[in-house]
Amino acid sequence: MHADKFVIPAEAASATKLETDVEVLRAQAGLYAFLGRCLESEVDQALLVALRGPLRDTLAELGIDIGEDLRSGAPKEVLADLGEEFAALFVVPGAVLPYRSAYETGRLFQPQADLATAAYRDAGFDFRNILSGEFPDHVAVMLAFVGRLLERQAEALEAGNTDAAAEWQRRREHFLLHQIGGWAVGWSRRAQSCARHPFYLAVLGLAEQVIWADIGDIADEKTLKRLVKSNRRPLVKQKTDHAFRKASGF
Amino acid sequence: MGHIGNIKTNRRGFLKLGATASAVGATLASTRLVAMEQELGGADFSAVTGEKRTAVPYTCMACNIEDGGVAMVENGRIVKLEGNMDHPNTRGKLCAKGNAGFLHVYDPDRIMSPLLRTGKRGEGKWKRISYDEATSLLSEKLRAVIDRSRAANDPSILNETVIKWGRNRTGGGIDRFMHALGSNAMLNHTNICESSKKVGLEPSWGPDIESCDWENTKYILNFGSNILESAYFMNPNAQRLVDGVVDNKAKIVSFDVRMSNTAGYSHEWFAPYPGTDSAIALAMAHVIMTEGLHDAEFIRDWTNVTEAQLLAHLAPFTPEFAEQESGVPAKDIRRIAREFATTKPATTFSYRGPCKHLWGAYQEAAIHMLNVITGNIEKRGGYCLPRGMGWPQPSPNPPKGPVPSIIAAPPLYPLASHHVSTNAPYMIMRGEAKVSVWMYYYDNPVYSYPSSHVWNAFLRDESLVPFSVAFSCFMSESTELADLIIPDVTYLERHDPESMPSGLFPCLSIRQPVIKPLGGTQEFRQSLIDIIHKVDPDGALGARKYFEFDSVEDWMRQHFDSIPGLKEEGGWDHMKKVGVWPTYGTVSKDNGKLIDDNGEVVVAEYGLHAAEIPAATMASAVVEPDGSITKDGATIGVQIDGKNHTGFGTPSRRIELYKESFRKYGFNPLPVYKRLPSRDKKPGEMILTTFKVNVHTQSRTASLKYLAEIYHKNPAWISPARAKALGIADGDLVRITSAVGYMVTRAHLTEGIHPEVVAISTACGHSAYGRLATLKHKEADAEWALGGDPDITNNVWWDDKGVHPNPIIRLSLDPIGGSQAWYDTVVTVSPAQPGDKYGDTKVSVEASMKDYDEALRYAYTGDLHRAAHQEVDVDWNALPRPGH
Repeated sequence: MHADKFVIPAEAASATKLETDVEVLRAQAGLYAFLGRCLESEVDQALLVALRGPLRDTLAELGIDIGEDLRSGAPKEVLADLGEEFAALFVVPGAVLPYRSAYETGRLFQPQADLATAAYRDAGFDFRNILSGEFPDHVAVMLAFVGRLLERQAEALEAGNTDAAAEWQRRREHFLLHQIGGWAVGWSRRAQSCARHPFYLAVLGLAEQVIWADIGDIADEKTLKRLVKSNRRPLVKQKTDHAFRKASGF
Repeated sequence: MGHIGNIKTNRRGFLKLGATASAVGATLASTRLVAMEQELGGADFSAVTGEKRTAVPYTCMACNIEDGGVAMVENGRIVKLEGNMDHPNTRGKLCAKGNAGFLHVYDPDRIMSPLLRTGKRGEGKWKRISYDEATSLLSEKLRAVIDRSRAANDPSILNETVIKWGRNRTGGGIDRFMHALGSNAMLNHTNICESSKKVGLEPSWGPDIESCDWENTKYILNFGSNILESAYFMNPNAQRLVDGVVDNKAKIVSFDVRMSNTAGYSHEWFAPYPGTDSAIALAMAHVIMTEGLHDAEFIRDWTNVTEAQLLAHLAPFTPEFAEQESGVPAKDIRRIAREFATTKPATTFSYRGPCKHLWGAYQEAAIHMLNVITGNIEKRGGYCLPRGMGWPQPSPNPPKGPVPSIIAAPPLYPLASHHVSTNAPYMIMRGEAKVSVWMYYYDNPVYSYPSSHVWNAFLRDESLVPFSVAFSCFMSESTELADLIIPDVTYLERHDPESMPSGLFPCLSIRQPVIKPLGGTQEFRQSLIDIIHKVDPDGALGARKYFEFDSVEDWMRQHFDSIPGLKEEGGWDHMKKVGVWPTYGTVSKDNGKLIDDNGEVVVAEYGLHAAEIPAATMASAVVEPDGSITKDGATIGVQIDGKNHTGFGTPSRRIELYKESFRKYGFNPLPVYKRLPSRDKKPGEMILTTFKVNVHTQSRTASLKYLAEIYHKNPAWISPARAKALGIADGDLVRITSAVGYMVTRAHLTEGIHPEVVAISTACGHSAYGRLATLKHKEADAEWALGGDPDITNNVWWDDKGVHPNPIIRLSLDPIGGSQAWYDTVVTVSPAQPGDKYGDTKVSVEASMKDYDEALRYAYTGDLHRAAHQEVDVDWNALPRPGH
């Protein structure tokens, strides 16, 4: 798997209809940006304010429970608890690492990271880490990237440039199918099974649904079957050969 | 006879034609068909693109042998490691551990970000912080110790800043750091390793280890060393040992309680009773001296004893006495002694087997003496001095702290020149020393120390250790107890100067980042710079000036750019390209030996001790009555038969078989055998020993997939006869009980073990160190079962991680070398009891504290020491006061 293979082939042009509703695009961009922010780093004061303010009612209307303490607890304690949960879920050894490389290969920073970087750069973005141990194939960065592509599509439409809008949509769909679709849903499910705080349960559940819904819109049946299998990562346990084990060890 | 056309052929005719064609040589060789391996290392190609991979030299640190390596890098990613063909001692080869080492870099359980504890110690609750925040926090703690010391005008407070390491290959970096802080409280791990070997050797001839010329020897006596698998300099020694045995037809005889792969490779293997090696060695010396097989001239010229003294001293150590103690037949001891003395050249080698006992230093000294009395010292094919090289420290270099640290140099162990780190928690728990900041680097005592539960209790206790910091990139059993983790990078991502005496060719080598530190992680050396800059931001404390480096690489340049010879070849820049200096030759594609430009095998230099002192140096030097040569107050050599030699690294410049430093503290100045308490165990009891295997280090490799798949469980080796008597069958659950507790494991029945011994390997049975080492995914906990590694989740076919023996091993110390007596723990072995489960371990801190008290009774001020050394000519009422 090499980054230079990321170049989107011409035939990869979107088979879906061009989304021209700018409001829809901006709403989708906001949703992806929200998911990206929640999963990219610990909840900080600004995000807490947003969750308690503008987002509170909407989340409640959607039936998304972010936890009573987050809604009304003492900010210092809430942020500390969420920081601890973030570290346990995504950072410390034993965590459900949010990297495509780790999910697919069991190793950090494999060519999957190069593919993500190539996609970002091809679209005029780049990745930088703020803290150590952050890689370009982080699920949150990928989701945020989808959000940025949606924004660009909306901007192109507002500028009356339909061709450019189509190109942004093509990039987004290709990225969703080829870099997110095969693992992020399965990863979200795994992370939910480990999450203890309602906020992360909610965000991970939302991520799973959003990603899968969008992929369902753009993937054909065959592709969907492949992605379902890929996300499930079925157990391919090797047979235990006791005779071999006896001969090779004790 | 057959016919092809008009040509008459038969087998003889074919062979004749073939021989003629062969003689014509290269002219008839195909120019199209080439060997797949055109070059012996150093070049590699991408399997996908065919492009040449970037080759970056480095020095391995999977274990402590420091082999030369080359990393193959593709797209900024390490894809393969191999040996560096320019390294004269490891000659392009890495062991299994070295080949697997790059898995550390991409390990999903690697700590990639500084972590600050948020829950109770060991609870596993953390907050992610930045390196800047982490180094600032530690700096505040360190500065507080300094400020308190200044306010109280008590420099001893500075020693409350402690650092302990398992592996320190910083080339003086940690010393610089600690001395800049005014602390001498540095603890290495050497007393759980081979420190009594070192103390058995150093006062005798200077260095702490030997470098055997395996390749050119004819006879090897191996005492308790598993050279082919794990001993010090395993890879280079193993290569040369095989060269010696196969090419040079050397004979090897091994003494080991367990049939290791080295013992199995030997021409003869004897399994002596544990801790009786020196009885055997002294009996051999007895035979050699009494039968006149010794090198009288060497003893006269190069030692501080006479033949008569030796004969008198060795008189009681007969082969029959050795047989009684060791179980090795006297006739074999006699025969092997004669073979060893009359086969030239010959050498011994020993490692942890003999020295990891009470009075282990005596054992090493006795084995060493065999080489001395047979004159095999510094001979081609003999027992040689180690060859290493040094490098200058950047200037200015801080002086030591103002006050000695009593945990770094316990006063009751004045001869233990390599620390007594096992005692630190006991001393602090007893109030003998105090800690404010405890830092640990590459260190995992909660797993790797005897009675490891004591370290667990110690590091958990905030009243004993108010603040602890781990510089680790893996969540070990010890790291998980830290308050703050400032992750180091792996050895493939950082800088170090190196020189290991792993062969007969002295050389320098380096460690350099073969890739950029992964994910923005920061190497330890940079953290040290940052911390000192924060402790002393304006330089007013006087610490900052020792860390005025523009970068870590600038630090390295200051080590290497001024070394004569290397400087002319480019200094640090040369090291970055080649990885090692000097270059002695190339590795022959035919036989793997080091050859020069003419194809001749490069021969090492021998007789280092006999090198003559230049006349210019002798100007104004004084030859003392005993022959030692002094100049400006220092001994620079020894005069023998009118010639001025540099000699050995001892006060007399001769080999000091008689050690006055030992006598001063009531120890026997000559090598002796002391019957161990474990020799007098009760019938039915056994002795527990541990061992390493060829694919693992003590504690750091259980997380490497390539290695864990090969070896991951460690049943207890028991002899079939003993097992039968105990009612134990192969694979049965057994309970092994020592004075501090018990463990439940499985039995492995084998004839390859002394019937009085039960042996369990290290490297298994982790409770931490990542999901592979612990096999947590086999448990129900979703947090682990669903973790980030599908390879582990899906493909780890084994469900047995082993059981770690260290908790039940008692603290016991060699009072001379200060070394942990790993192989003296007396145990009972029985079938598991009802309710016992595999892996159960129950141990007592209180019982271990009693072991500490018992150990001190053997220290030079103790009653048991005096009782065991009545033969020593010393005024027992006038022994030096501790600390003086």
